[in-house]
Amino acid sequence: MTKFLIRNLFSMFVTMFLVSLVLFFLLEVAGGDVTVRLLGVFATPEQRESLRRQLGLDAPAWQRYADWLIGSDWRAQRLSPYPLTTMPNPQTGEQEWWAEVDGVLTRWRMVDGELLAIQRTADGREVTSPASVAWTTDETGAEVFWGVDTRNNLVKWVRGSDLEVLVLSKAGVRSERGGPQQYIPLRKGIVRGDAGMSLQTNRPVSATIFSRAANSLILAAAAFVLVMPLALFFGMLAGVNEGKPLDRIISITGLGFTATPEFVVGVFLILIFGIWLRWLPATAVFLTGDAIFRDPKILVLPVLTLMAAEFGYVARITRASMVEVMQSPYIRTAFIKGLPWRRIIFRHALRNALLAPITVVMLQINWLIGGVIVVEVLFGIPGLGSYIYDAAIFGDFNAVAAAAMLTVLIAVLTRLIGDLLYVYLNPRIRFA
Amino acid sequence: MNERIHPLVLQATDKLRQGRISRREFLRYATLLGVSVGTAYALSACAPAAAPTAGEAPSAGAAPGAIVRGGVLRKGMLVQQVDHPARLSWIEGANAVRLVNEYLTVTGPDNITRPYLLERWEASDDVQTWTLYLRKGIKFNNGDELTADDVLFSFSQWLDPAVGSSMLGLLSYLDGMDSVEKIDDYTVRLHLTSPNIGVPEHLFHYPAVVLHRDFQGDWVKQPVGTGAFTLVEYLEGERAVFKARPDYWRTGEDGKPLPYLDEIVFVNLDKDASVAAMQSGQIDTFFKPRPSDFLALKDNPELQVKSVATANCFLVRMRVDMEPWNDNRVRTALKKCQDRQKILDFSYSGEGILSIDAHFSPVHPAYAERPIPPYDPDGARALLEEYAAEKGIQLPLKVTLATKNDLAEPEIAQTLKELAAPAGFDITLDITEPNGYWDRWTEVPLGITIWAHRPLDTMVPPLAYTADANGNPVPWNETRWVDPEFVEKLRKAELTLDIEARREIIGELEDIMQERGPIGNSYWTNEWEIIRKEFQNVVAHPSNFDFYYEVWKQA
Repeated sequence: MTKFLIRNLFSMFVTMFLVSLVLFFLLEVAGGDVTVRLLGVFATPEQRESLRRQLGLDAPAWQRYADWLIGSDWRAQRLSPYPLTTMPNPQTGEQEWWAEVDGVLTRWRMVDGELLAIQRTADGREVTSPASVAWTTDETGAEVFWGVDTRNNLVKWVRGSDLEVLVLSKAGVRSERGGPQQYIPLRKGIVRGDAGMSLQTNRPVSATIFSRAANSLILAAAAFVLVMPLALFFGMLAGVNEGKPLDRIISITGLGFTATPEFVVGVFLILIFGIWLRWLPATAVFLTGDAIFRDPKILVLPVLTLMAAEFGYVARITRASMVEVMQSPYIRTAFIKGLPWRRIIFRHALRNALLAPITVVMLQINWLIGGVIVVEVLFGIPGLGSYIYDAAIFGDFNAVAAAAMLTVLIAVLTRLIGDLLYVYLNPRIRFA
Repeated sequence: MNERIHPLVLQATDKLRQGRISRREFLRYATLLGVSVGTAYALSACAPAAAPTAGEAPSAGAAPGAIVRGGVLRKGMLVQQVDHPARLSWIEGANAVRLVNEYLTVTGPDNITRPYLLERWEASDDVQTWTLYLRKGIKFNNGDELTADDVLFSFSQWLDPAVGSSMLGLLSYLDGMDSVEKIDDYTVRLHLTSPNIGVPEHLFHYPAVVLHRDFQGDWVKQPVGTGAFTLVEYLEGERAVFKARPDYWRTGEDGKPLPYLDEIVFVNLDKDASVAAMQSGQIDTFFKPRPSDFLALKDNPELQVKSVATANCFLVRMRVDMEPWNDNRVRTALKKCQDRQKILDFSYSGEGILSIDAHFSPVHPAYAERPIPPYDPDGARALLEEYAAEKGIQLPLKVTLATKNDLAEPEIAQTLKELAAPAGFDITLDITEPNGYWDRWTEVPLGITIWAHRPLDTMVPPLAYTADANGNPVPWNETRWVDPEFVEKLRKAELTLDIEARREIIGELEDIMQERGPIGNSYWTNEWEIIRKEFQNVVAHPSNFDFYYEVWKQA
C-alpha cells in the first residue's frame, strides 16, 4: 500500500511538472502582447518595450519559467549587496520586498537622477532621504547599484548614465535619465506559494484567487455531496429493476436532466423559484465576501442547477454498471445458491458495480470546480471559473497560470483519491 | 446679488424675448457663461413663457421632513479596474470614483451645467479667459482643505500626455500647464489658446474628478476625495463598497450633511444576472439597462422607470485609411444600406430617435434639422458597382464587421448584414465579448462602436474626428478621418456662442459628415434608470452618471 501511495504521489508531481511546462509554453505562444492591454493601443513601441522590461518579459523564457516556478530571489540575492526579505504592507497586508541595510528595511527610488532611500521605521512609517549606497563599477566602467524599488523589483541603477529610460509609473510613462536599466521582478515562485502579481488588479494573484476558489469549492462541494448519493442510489435502483417502470422513470428523468444544458435548467429555476414564486434568491449576489455563510439560500438554485447536470450522468453510469454485474454468472450463482436478495446486492453486486461510477464521479469533481463557469456567470457567483475566464481575456498570465495550476492540482488530487477508492473496492488492482 | 452678467447673456435674453430661442436654451447658455441658475431663471422670466419643454425643473424634491436617512443602495454594475481617475474610460469606473471624488462643475439631467466644487466661474468677453472661483471650506476625506493646488494638480494630470487622459484631447485649447494660472488659494485662471464655450462642460467630463495634490496614481490604494462617500473595499470583478462620510460639505434638506444613504454597494453582475436579481429583490438598481431589460422590467409593480433622451449612439464606423473604406463611394454605399427605423426597432425596441449619419444629436441645442436619409439599396449598389469596376473586382464586396456582444450591437450588425446584402455587401460578423472588442476598437477596419452622450455638440467631434498638432489622429479617432474643412468649421463652432449662427455651422458640419464622413448612425437611444420604488429623488442622467447623494430610501 505504501508503495502504491508513493508511486502515485510521484506520478502526481511528474504530472504537475509536465502540465506546468505545457501551460507555460501555451501562454508563451498564445499569450499575445499584454503591454497593449495595459498601455492601450496608442502606446509607442518604446513605451511597450519599457513596460516589457519592467515586467521582466525581456528575460529568456527558461529564466522566466524558473522564476515563476521557484522564484527569482535566489538569483536576485546574488546581485544585491544587501539581504532581501519580504514584509507585509501595513495597510493592505500584501507582501512587499525590502532590502535589509544594517537591519533597516530599505527600498530605493530615483528622482531626477538622484537616488533616494525609503526606510521603513519600526512603527511602520516610511522615511525618505538621499541614499548613500555603495556604487560598484561594472565591466563597462559605469557606476551601478542593484537595489529594490517600490514596485517589488530588483533594479540595476546606473549613475550618470546618459541613457534615457522610460519608466512606467502608475501615473503613466515618463522618461528618466540615468535611471533603472534592468529589472528582475522579485517573487518566491509558485512552489513556495507566490503566484506573482495579477496584471488585471495590480494585486498579488494569491490575494484574489483563494477567495474565488473557495466560492467555487463551496458551490461544487455542496452540489457534489448532495447529488452523488442520490445519483448512485437511484442508479442502483434502476439497475436492479432493469426494464421495470421504476427503471424507466429514473432513466428518462436522468437523461432529460443531462440532455438539458445548465443554462436552460438555471434559467427555468431562476424564473420559477426566484421570480414567480420568490421562494429563493434568483441570483447569488455577494454583497459581502462571506455572503455564502450569511445567506446560504443564495446557493440553493446554483446547486440545484449543477445537481441536475450531474444527476443523470452518474445515475446512468451506475445503472449500466449495475445491470452488467447483475447479469454476471457469479450473481446468478448466488441467487441459485439461495442467498438473501439484500445480501447479494450489498455484499456481492454493489462493490463491483461501483467501480465504473467512481471513475466518473472523480472526473466530475474537476468539472465541478473548473467548469462551472456557466453556472457562475448565470448566477453572478465570483468563482474560479469566471476568474480564469476574465484573466485569459485580459492576458493576465500570472493569474491564468496560477488558476490553471490550482485546477490541475485539484484534478490530480481527486485522481489520487479515486485510485485509493478503487483499490479499496477492488483488491485485484492492488496487485496489478 | 451683485453679479456681472456676460454681454452675450444679455443678447440671448433679447433672443429669448423675441421667441427665437427656447427658455431651456437660454438657461443653458446663461448658466454656461457663469450666470447663476437663480439669476438665469429671473432673466428668463422677463420673457413671455415659451412652450414648456421636457426636462425643465430637474429637482424632484420631496416635502421637507419626509426625508428618511439611512439604508443601503445595492447596484448591479461591473466593478472594473480603476487606477488613475484621469485615465477613466468607462462610465462604470467613473460611477465608482464619483462617490469619492467630485467635479468642479456638474451637468444635470436637464443638460444645464452648474458650478459644483466651484462657487462660480467667469468668462471674458472673448471667452478666451476663464476664471474659476473655488468654494471655500471644502474638506477632503483625509482632512485637508480643497485649494487651488489640488485643482492645479488635477489639471497637470489631465494635460500630461504620459498619463493618457482623454481630457487631453478635450482641453486642446490649453497649452499645457502654462495655460493654467493660480491666482490665489481659491482662484484658478485658464488662458485658452483659442476661445471655447465648452469649458464648464468639459470640467464635468467623467475623468475630470478633482484629485488630492498628493495623489500617487492608484485610486484604490489612495481613495482621497471631497465626495460624500469613502471607499471601504474595491475588489475588481467582485464588488465595491462605499460608506457615507459624516462631514461632507453639502447639507441635505434636513440641515444635516448629505448623503441620506448610509452605504452603496456595487456588485459585479452581468446584465442577465442583474435583471434576475432585480426581479427577485436582491439588488435595487443596475447599470444601464438594455432595451430587452427595459421591456422585461418596465411593468414590474415594485420598480420605477425614469427615462431620458440622449446623444448616445452606436456608430457603424469605417477606417478611412484602410481598403475599401478609404473610398467614399463604399462608405456612402454602406450608409445607404441603413433602414434606420428597422434597425431601431430590431435592436432597440424602437426606444430612441432616428438619426442622420453625423455625430450631432437633436438633444444638442444647436442641432440643425436634416431629413432622415431613406434606405436605398439600389443607390448603394450603383456606387459599389462603380467602385468594383474601377478596382476590377467582383461583387459582392466581402467585408468584416467587428463589434461586441453587448447592448444592441449584435442586432444592429445582423440587421445591417441583411439590409446590405442586396446592395452587394457580403458582411461577415466578428462579434466578441465586450473586452475583446475594446482591445481593438480603434484598429478594426469596420466596426460598431458605442459612443456616450455628451451635453454639448462640440464635445465629441474634437475627440473623434481631429488630429493633434503633428497631424496624427487624436487617440480616440477610431476612423482616422481628419477632414480639413470639417475641422476648420468645427473650430469655428467651438467659438460661436450665438445659437443661430452656431446652428448654421453645425448644419454644415452635419452635411460634410453625411457627404463624406466615416460613420453611419441610425439612431440615438433613450436611457433608463430602473430602481425600486422605495428610493426617492432618483434622476436618470443621459450619460448614466449616478447622482446618489440626494437619494433617500423610504422606510
